[in-house]
Amino acid sequence: MSTSQSGGYIRLALFSALLSGSALVFPATTVAQDFGPVAAPEVNPARAELGKRLFFDKRLSGDAALSCSSCHQPDKAFTDGLALSEAYPGSKGFRNTPTLMNTALRANWFHDSRIGTNLNDVTRENLTEDYIMNMDMRLMQERIKQDPVYVEMFEKAGLGEPSNGGVRKAIPEYLKTLISRGAPFDKGEMSPAAQRGFDLFRGKAGCAACHSGPLFTDDKVHNIGVPENPDLWSDPMRHMTWVAFASFMGVENYMNMRRDVGAQILRHPADGRDIGSFRTPTLRELKYTAPYMHNGVFDTLFEVVSFYNQGGGDDPNKDPRLRPLGLTHAEQKDIVVFLESLSGDLLNTPEFVPAAPVPTNYDAIENWRETTN
Amino acid sequence: MTMPKTISALLTGAALGLVASGMALAAEDFPPLAPLPDTPPIPMDNPQSEAKVQLGKMLFWDPRLGGDASTACVSCHNPDQGWAFGDALSRGYPGTVHWRNSQTVINAAFLGKQFWAGAAKSLEKQAPSAAKGAVAGNGENDVMEARLAFIPEYRKRFREVFGPGYPRIDDAWRAIAAFERTLIVNDTPVDRYLRGDKSALSEQQLRGMALFNGKAGCIQCHNGPLASDEKYYNLGVPPAERWEEDGLAQITFRYEQYAKGVTQEIYRKIKDDAGLYYRTKLPEDMGKFRTPALRYTLYTAPYMHNGAFWDLEEVVQFYNAGGGENEFTDGTMAANKTPLLKPLGLSDDEVADLVAFLEGFSGDELRVEAPTLPPYGPLDDN
Repeated sequence: MSTSQSGGYIRLALFSALLSGSALVFPATTVAQDFGPVAAPEVNPARAELGKRLFFDKRLSGDAALSCSSCHQPDKAFTDGLALSEAYPGSKGFRNTPTLMNTALRANWFHDSRIGTNLNDVTRENLTEDYIMNMDMRLMQERIKQDPVYVEMFEKAGLGEPSNGGVRKAIPEYLKTLISRGAPFDKGEMSPAAQRGFDLFRGKAGCAACHSGPLFTDDKVHNIGVPENPDLWSDPMRHMTWVAFASFMGVENYMNMRRDVGAQILRHPADGRDIGSFRTPTLRELKYTAPYMHNGVFDTLFEVVSFYNQGGGDDPNKDPRLRPLGLTHAEQKDIVVFLESLSGDLLNTPEFVPAAPVPTNYDAIENWRETTN
Repeated sequence: MTMPKTISALLTGAALGLVASGMALAAEDFPPLAPLPDTPPIPMDNPQSEAKVQLGKMLFWDPRLGGDASTACVSCHNPDQGWAFGDALSRGYPGTVHWRNSQTVINAAFLGKQFWAGAAKSLEKQAPSAAKGAVAGNGENDVMEARLAFIPEYRKRFREVFGPGYPRIDDAWRAIAAFERTLIVNDTPVDRYLRGDKSALSEQQLRGMALFNGKAGCIQCHNGPLASDEKYYNLGVPPAERWEEDGLAQITFRYEQYAKGVTQEIYRKIKDDAGLYYRTKLPEDMGKFRTPALRYTLYTAPYMHNGAFWDLEEVVQFYNAGGGENEFTDGTMAANKTPLLKPLGLSDDEVADLVAFLEGFSGDELRVEAPTLPPYGPLDDN
C-alpha cells in the first residue's frame, strides 16, 4: 500500500510506534489526524424541535411503554447504564445501548454496522423492530395525528400532515443536535496525564489505528475478541431475543451458536470470518456511558485499557494487530485520563429535553363525524 | 333414507313458517335450522389428537404469543365472557383499543371463514392474524417462535405432537385451532328440539321459533346448523358510539382504514366500518358483515360487529324496525342496505317470544379449567 494514498492523513500509528521503539506495527492503517472538536451539522430548528418531542414520546412504541429516551437517556449521554439493554416488554436485549452523541456524523449504525444508509432508516429500524419498540408505523401515524400539538409542529416543520415519513425525518434532525461540546480535549484543557495518555493513544498503545477522527472511530468493524457476556446465554429472555434476531438475519446454525455473530450478518461469509466483529465505538462521552463494549462486559475504562494491554481477547478471527502492548500501570491510567478528557457537557437541558413530559393519552377529536380524517 | 335438502327445507318451511305467517319467504333459497353435529370439519393437514388439543389449550392462554407477552387469545376470548369480550369493542393490545366486537370461539370451528368480514379462511389462519395485528396481539413470528423454543415443556410437547425439531410458530396456530375445534356447544334446547325432543322448547319459545321461521324472517339469513348462512349483508347497524368519544378508538379507526388499503379519498371521508369492502374493494360490499351464528349468544353480549346492542331484545327491536341507517345505507358512502329488511310489525309479546327462542340457542356455559403455563428455561436444558 502506497503512502501516497494517505493524502491528508499521516501514518501516525506506524510513525509513533517506530518513534517509541515499540515492536508494534500497524501496517495498513491510515489515521485521520484531525481528532476534534466535533463540527456541528446544520440543523432545521423546527424539525429538530419536533424530533425532540417524538424522541421522548412513549406512544411511539407498540404498547406505549417505551420512548427512544427509555434506553437513550440524556443523563447518561443517551445510554442506559446497563450492560445489556432492557428492550421491549416481553423481551430482553442482547447488546449494550450505544450512545447517540454525534450519531448523525457516523457512517453506519448499530454494533454490527448493519445499517449504512442514514438515520432515517435507523429510526425506522428502532421503531419497528419487534424487540426494540415493536411499533406498527401505520398505527404510529394515526397516534401522532391524534395529538393537536403534533399537527401544528409538523406543519411548522414543513412536513405537512403527520406521517411516518415525517417522523423519520424529524427524529434524525433532533439527533443532529446531539453533538459533543465542552470536552477538555477540545478546549485545550488537558492535564499532563491526559496529554501523556494521548501520546500513548496515538503511539505505543496503537488505539488510533481504529479510534481516529473527531469521533475517535473509523466506523469499521473489527474483531478484538471481546468475551461473551454470560448473561446473554444464561438468561432465556435474552438468549431468545438473540435467537429471534439471528433467525431473522439468516444466521447459520443459530440455535447452537453461543457467540454473538456481530457483523457476520452483513455478508455471511462461508468461513465465518466476520463472526465476532463489531463496529469501533466512538470514544466521546465515555465518562457517562459505562459499561463498555457491544455487550457491556467491562465496567470501567481501566478494564478496557487493560484488555487491550493484554492483546485483546481470545477469538480465532481476532485482528492480528492486537498484541500485548506492554503498558505500565501508570501508562494505562494515563490513557484512561485521556479518554475521560473526551467527555464534555451532558445534553440534558431544555434545549435537548422537552420542558414538560409528553402526554401519554389522547383527547378525542370533537365533532368527529364532521371532521375530515 | 335421506331427503333432498331443498325438499326438506320446503317441508320445514311450510310446517313452521309460511303457513303460520302467510309470509312468502322463498324457502328454497335457504336450509332450515338444524342441530349442530358433534364434530366440526377437520382439515386434512391438521388432524386432531388429544396431545395437540392440550398443547393448543395452553397456547390459547399463553400471552407470550403476542408482542409484549401481555395479551393471549384468552384475553379477548374469555370463557367468563362467552369466550368473547364483554364490551362493545374488544379490549385490544395495551396502548390501543380494538375496533370490532370480539366474537365467541364457541362453535367457530363450524364457520367456513373467520372474522366479521370473513378475512381468514380457517382457524389456523385466524390465530396468527389476531396474534400479530397491531391492535390485537402485536406479535411477530420470529420473537414468538423463539419464545416457544425457550419453554422446555413446549419443546417436549411440540416434539410429541409435530415431530422433531424446535417448536414452529405455524404449528402453534395448528394446535390452537385443534383446541378450538373442541369448543363445541350443541346440547342446547334448540338442538334437543330439532333432534326430536319436543319438550326441549317452551310454548313461548315455540311461538318465537314460528316467528323466526315466518313473520320475522330471521331464517332467511340465520339458517342451517349454525343459524347463519355465512353470507354478508348491510343491515344499517349504527356506527360505534365510542368512535365519537374516545381518542384511542379514533386512532384505531383511522389505522384500520390505512392498514386495509382504502383510497385516500375514502380514508378522508369514512366514519364507519366498511366491513366486507376492505377485502373486495367493491363499492357494493360497503358496510356488509357476515351473518353471525346465533349460538351461545346468551353469553356474548353486546351484539353486532361493533357491539351496538346490549341485549337480545334490542337486537330484535332493531330488526322489528326494519334495521337501521348508516353511511353505507344513506348514500353518503354507499346505499347497500339489504332489501330483506323491512319493518316487521312484531308486537311486544312477539318480540318477547322471539327473544325467548333465541335464548334457546345457548345451553349451558362451557367452562374449562385454565391451564398452568410452563416457565421459560435455558435452551440446553432438554
